[in-house]
Amino acid sequence: MLADHAKAMHRVCFGAEPSEADLELLGSRERWLVYRDLVRYRLVHVIGVALARTKEAIGKESFGRAVDEWLSTGGPRSRYIRHVPSELADFAIPIWQSSEAPWVADLVRHEITAWNVRHAPPAPTPETEFSFDGKPVLSTAVEVLRLAYPVHQTPTPGAGYEPDPTLLCVYRDKSHKASTRKLNPLAADLLEAWKRADETVAESVQRVAKAHDTEIGPAFVEKLSAIIADFLGHSPPP
Amino acid sequence: MSREVTGIGLGLRYDLATELLTRRPATVSWLEVHPENYVNRGGRYQEMLELGRRDWPVVTHGLTTCLGSVEPFDVGYLANLRAFLSDLEVPWHSEHLCLGGVDDRFFHDLLPLPFTEEAARIASQRLTEVRDAIDMPLAVENASYYAAQCDDGLAEADFVVEVLERADAKLLLDVNNIYVNSRNFDFDPKAYIDKIPPERVVQIHVAGHFVRDDGLRIDTHGEPVPDHVYQLLDYTLGKIGPVPVLLERDNNVPPLDELLAEIDELWTIYRNATEVDRAG
Repeated sequence: MLADHAKAMHRVCFGAEPSEADLELLGSRERWLVYRDLVRYRLVHVIGVALARTKEAIGKESFGRAVDEWLSTGGPRSRYIRHVPSELADFAIPIWQSSEAPWVADLVRHEITAWNVRHAPPAPTPETEFSFDGKPVLSTAVEVLRLAYPVHQTPTPGAGYEPDPTLLCVYRDKSHKASTRKLNPLAADLLEAWKRADETVAESVQRVAKAHDTEIGPAFVEKLSAIIADFLGHSPPP
Repeated sequence: MSREVTGIGLGLRYDLATELLTRRPATVSWLEVHPENYVNRGGRYQEMLELGRRDWPVVTHGLTTCLGSVEPFDVGYLANLRAFLSDLEVPWHSEHLCLGGVDDRFFHDLLPLPFTEEAARIASQRLTEVRDAIDMPLAVENASYYAAQCDDGLAEADFVVEVLERADAKLLLDVNNIYVNSRNFDFDPKAYIDKIPPERVVQIHVAGHFVRDDGLRIDTHGEPVPDHVYQLLDYTLGKIGPVPVLLERDNNVPPLDELLAEIDELWTIYRNATEVDRAG
């Protein structure tokens, strides 16, 4: 039956160890082991590209073990190969949280967010011109990260990172690359509000400024204008 | 309205896009894209497609709606695919005659179907389902394979033809795949071509492949097109006439000039077939 055949292929490609029974069912034992290598190589490659810094930080062996363990749960659920690194990250972060240095999970979050932002869907086209009385429409893919370690910076050789609560904005820039900016708490709250887009720009600005006990004076307006131009303007920021 | 797809095309790939879209060589007549790389994706891929469409007609070639699937396809994805193809105004779309996943998991590779009556029945049903869902002509591509599916290598050609006839479908004939399979399973690739109904072929793929130390040929799309594949293309076009030919290069992508030299070689073969076709 084709269904049995397909399930055996699946187990051979993704199982921790391919069973002799499956290889016998499929025939051509050595060639099916070639398929196992080909299938796994492609997935391991894209994961390694997306999480290059993480792989370097924890070492090929530890990284490879997590990928093997993830594959043994059944392999990718998404038809889009660009989503494969995220699937691995969701699986591996809890593992690495307990087995690796405490900043590794944040490093994975930052890398995978940059990957996802770069490959995110197109930004929606605003139906109307920007208005403080309208709902915000972000001009590019944006994510706000609230991390315990400043993993966007170069690590201290041999030591990694010291704890330092860090707010980051990761966004797709004009050249379609993922860029990272450090945020203050107010800007982080504002960008998150604009991502939710469940209130007008004016409402979000007033609510967030009040929450941070910040007066909406000239200095605030100047900074607000800059962040509006960057993320609610006509094109992505540089 | 679709722009006519004739002559020699090139796959629009990230690694060669900058040079291709800047130089816009006249010898490239059309582009092929994988929808999975563009559906619901912005950034550079969106830009590449927009720039490519300005000067070239586009044909689409799917990677994950593999027609041997034992499970029904995701109707949500097919709806997205239909919208994407409609927007691109492609003249046809193609998918592979293989297995791409099971139990809602994806191999992200093309695994072989056994050449059985059951597999032909399922593949033809799936082909019809996808064709109805996207509401446009759907061609099926013969795949390369590395694990023997039958004692007789030519049984694959019979299998492909059976699927085509059951679904009254078109064929994207991959000449490199036939050559790779013929070397891995010791059959005459021209005899395979002879079994294909010419009127069903709408497009051809050519590519290079990797030869391992043990002699096994792997369909990598990462090497130059070898002479034997050019020769098989010449034979194929002589049999079926000048259908559009795509140069596939997905890995180990060289400078564009190297690909353009291969495209020139393909044009020579294609023009020869065109002249023979007119004379005939």
